[in-house]
Amino acid sequence: MSTSTSLAAAERATPVRTATVPRHYGRYLYLAINIAILIFLLAPIAIVVVFALNPTPFIQFPPVGVSLRWFEKFFASRDFMHALWFSLEVAVLTTLSATLLGASAALALARGNLPGTRLIVATMLSPLMLPAILTGLALFQTYVLLDVGRPTWGLVAGHTLVTLPYVVRTTLAVLHNFDTRLEEAAQNLGASPLRTFFEVTLPLIKPGVLAGAIFAFIVSFDQFPVSLFLVSPGNETLPVTLFNYLKFDLDGTIGAASVVSILLAFVVVIGLDRTVGLRSYVKL
Amino acid sequence: MMKALGSSRFSRRRFLTASASLGIGTIAAPYVARADDPTLRITGWGGKWGEIMKAEIGPAFESEFKCKLQIDSAFPYLPKLQASSRSAPIYDVMHTNSNEQWAAAEMGLVEPKIDPKLVPNLADVYPYAISDKIVGVSIFTSAIGLGMRTDKGYGSITSWKELWDAKYNGVRGGYVIPVNSLGQAFLMMCGTLFGKGQLDLDAAYTALEKLKPIKIVDFTGAMEKMLLSGEVGLCVIHDSGIYRYDGQNQPTDFVSPSEGVLSLEQVLTITPGSKMKELANAYVNYMLRPEVQKRLAETVWYSPANKKVKLDAKYDAKLLTTPEKVSKLIQVDWKWYNERKDEIDQRVNRIFRA
Amino acid sequence: MSASIEIAGVSKIYDGGVRAVDAVAMDIRQGEFFSLLGPSGCGKTTTLRMIAGFETPSAGAIRVDGADITHVPAHKRDMGMVFQNYALFPHRTVAENVAFGLRMRGLDKATIAAKVKAALAMVELSGLEDRRPAQLSGGQQQRVALARAIVIAPRVLLCDEPLGALDKKLRQQMQFELKQLQKKLGLTLVFVTHDQEEALAMSDRIAVMNGGRVEQVGTPTEIYNQPTTRFVADFIGDTNIFRGERTTTGTGASALDVGKGLILALPPTDAQGTGVLSVALRPEKIRLSPRGDAAIAAGSSAHGIVENTNFLGGAVLYRIELASGHRVLVQQPNAGTSRLFVPGNGVTLDWTPADLVALKD
Repeated sequence: MSTSTSLAAAERATPVRTATVPRHYGRYLYLAINIAILIFLLAPIAIVVVFALNPTPFIQFPPVGVSLRWFEKFFASRDFMHALWFSLEVAVLTTLSATLLGASAALALARGNLPGTRLIVATMLSPLMLPAILTGLALFQTYVLLDVGRPTWGLVAGHTLVTLPYVVRTTLAVLHNFDTRLEEAAQNLGASPLRTFFEVTLPLIKPGVLAGAIFAFIVSFDQFPVSLFLVSPGNETLPVTLFNYLKFDLDGTIGAASVVSILLAFVVVIGLDRTVGLRSYVKL
Repeated sequence: MMKALGSSRFSRRRFLTASASLGIGTIAAPYVARADDPTLRITGWGGKWGEIMKAEIGPAFESEFKCKLQIDSAFPYLPKLQASSRSAPIYDVMHTNSNEQWAAAEMGLVEPKIDPKLVPNLADVYPYAISDKIVGVSIFTSAIGLGMRTDKGYGSITSWKELWDAKYNGVRGGYVIPVNSLGQAFLMMCGTLFGKGQLDLDAAYTALEKLKPIKIVDFTGAMEKMLLSGEVGLCVIHDSGIYRYDGQNQPTDFVSPSEGVLSLEQVLTITPGSKMKELANAYVNYMLRPEVQKRLAETVWYSPANKKVKLDAKYDAKLLTTPEKVSKLIQVDWKWYNERKDEIDQRVNRIFRA
Repeated sequence: MSASIEIAGVSKIYDGGVRAVDAVAMDIRQGEFFSLLGPSGCGKTTTLRMIAGFETPSAGAIRVDGADITHVPAHKRDMGMVFQNYALFPHRTVAENVAFGLRMRGLDKATIAAKVKAALAMVELSGLEDRRPAQLSGGQQQRVALARAIVIAPRVLLCDEPLGALDKKLRQQMQFELKQLQKKLGLTLVFVTHDQEEALAMSDRIAVMNGGRVEQVGTPTEIYNQPTTRFVADFIGDTNIFRGERTTTGTGASALDVGKGLILALPPTDAQGTGVLSVALRPEKIRLSPRGDAAIAAGSSAHGIVENTNFLGGAVLYRIELASGHRVLVQQPNAGTSRLFVPGNGVTLDWTPADLVALKD
């Protein structure tokens, strides 16, 4: 009590200028750091956009003009279009399987009273620790040994492997804060365990599952190292096609493809937000 | 395992076809192969090469030989081949650069030679294409020399040694040697230029040291762009990387130095475990056909290996189409190089890290 | 419609051997407000959860109207429950929360709407149908929870410390309302609480639990006036407990020698036997007067000095040190400032021996 009083007195005694100036500096510094981080995050995107819109076939600064020729080339290219659709297909399938498996696994881990839960969680998250290129190579070798070739489901399985940890983590996080009495309340009111799951558990863990699903989609859509070995001839994903293109042609088509990818990811996130409500997660 | 489980009707190919047809955006290939057509699995470049292979050369082969051509244009080929079983390799024919072919041959993943009896067109190729520096057969080659800007008043350049001139400080271009064939070939050239020959690594290292400052890139495509944008004025490059912009009035030109140009070969090999040997040989022979050679050469500006190819004047003037021009090619001993690759990588990394 | 519940020798032993509930037996009558009272960890909540079906007894049986429901899953028990912190579904509106149980019972929409409306009217929440639980006050949430539980016309209503999160004023109001509702609907209500005042005020009968066991079952007055165990006497309200050796006075009456010269006359009902005995004496059963010179009645009065005066409003609680050194609590009605004793005052205490309650240890 006496300390705070004396502090208040000291503050009153201090001239106003010296008391307020450091506070302003702090705010400016905070602002400056935030702007710097934003620039750092957005600069690559800006460069890609400039590259995509600049008509010259090489990165030039300042840009000489604005043209959509690289977008035209991208959308006219059968290879790129096929790769784009294929990537979307793989990303959608991956999102479905990773979400289904990951959410179920998280539920089992959080509720199942299983022995060695921590070990299982660690194993489930381990694909994040392993270099993805090794995951890809190992899967490739496995498929070769099993003589199944490089089917689309194999690629989806590889993507599922590396996206599963995101779903498991985000779902476990919401389950961790889940009040199980809500489920008991539902059962008490006559809901069977299955009904309880769909009426109460699922709607309430949805934000976490959804966040994991969005991660899964983006990680799959942008996935390169795992895909590198698992794509089959004629069915290459967009990142792999971009990489191969890059080896022979380094022009604005790459930039255009990147811009399209970014927009697409954006549309997916916004779409999911609008349809199933991402905002509830932000509130959590 | 799969085979033991599945009935013969549910063959792997059928399965692959079925899974492929599930794809949302699957685009039908021009030649609609029947499910029981044999499949030849090959590798191939992307870019312009890939486009024309997919649009013309491949489909023509498919309909002539009643087969399905499955072209893997996703790198890296060698690790994939390495990871698959020797008795059931994932490729029947591998198309890649000579250095990678040598590595594959050393591991026994590809057959070192092509049988001229099975590939009659082998009789018509220039000697370099089947020399002792080549595994399999080189179907095309590019010349590695110097690329220059013509709008900077550099004057006429005739020698590799021009690259060491101080006036190119800041606009000199080279490669990340461990990952780029052109860089590796250039390193061998340095030994020839300043030492006792290709194998004089010490002389090469000293020469590389003196090249600094130098802008180094990993992809050849990136060097083309840097030259086009003027970021680089003089660089090591292959002729097709300059000639492909022919007709665009770019202020760039290819220099064929008096000491000779390095050979960047496009090599085909057949895998020993291939179940499609006959088709594989037919494919190699097909790729050496004069009309196929001409079409590809004029698309991507590669010098054809077949002596009988008659290119249009524009291409004939610039590509290596006569015995005299071909005699300027210097082939790199990739077998020797690959044996020392780790040591060389370490050394050049040290040189360029500083 | 309401049912009776029979809890027959029910135990709950968790992994690791912890006996949360130990051979509990009690009969809850139809239409009765029955409280499970005890400190935290006494097993009252576990007992309630076994009645609800969220836990399975390790031993014993639970019967509702004579039918064994020990292994009937929770969702088939037809019991309403009001949870601590209410457990309202946060993703559903007030009306949807209340409608939930009806929906699970497959009722048609019109019936559900009518019942929800009636239930919300009963708990005076009409007009808040479309709110989310997070937009309601604690008291309102509590009413929603109650409406949700009673709208299904349960055979038994279970309440797990339902009023614990409310402030005192609101809690008293809700206690009153809940009791009214229970009476009006004739509900069998099992009420878990650690608040003895709440239990005394609302219950028809109370089971006092401690360490997983039932110490005493009885009406609030029985529990308060005739606690049978030391724990119950101590836990319910303030009390003075004396422990001593049975003895006989010069007149031949039974008495308890609690040491240091203090002898308490025992009521005739507890006069038999010998040996050690504990007795309880409620603070308000002791009368207090200024210390006079008159001799005091042996066995039912004592002299002492006020150590501490605790003004409670309607009453005053004194801590008094007796001449024998024993400390006792004495509660007197607030009869005005003139009658207030202050620390240091000499006082005379006297009581009726019949108010002494013998306890089991």
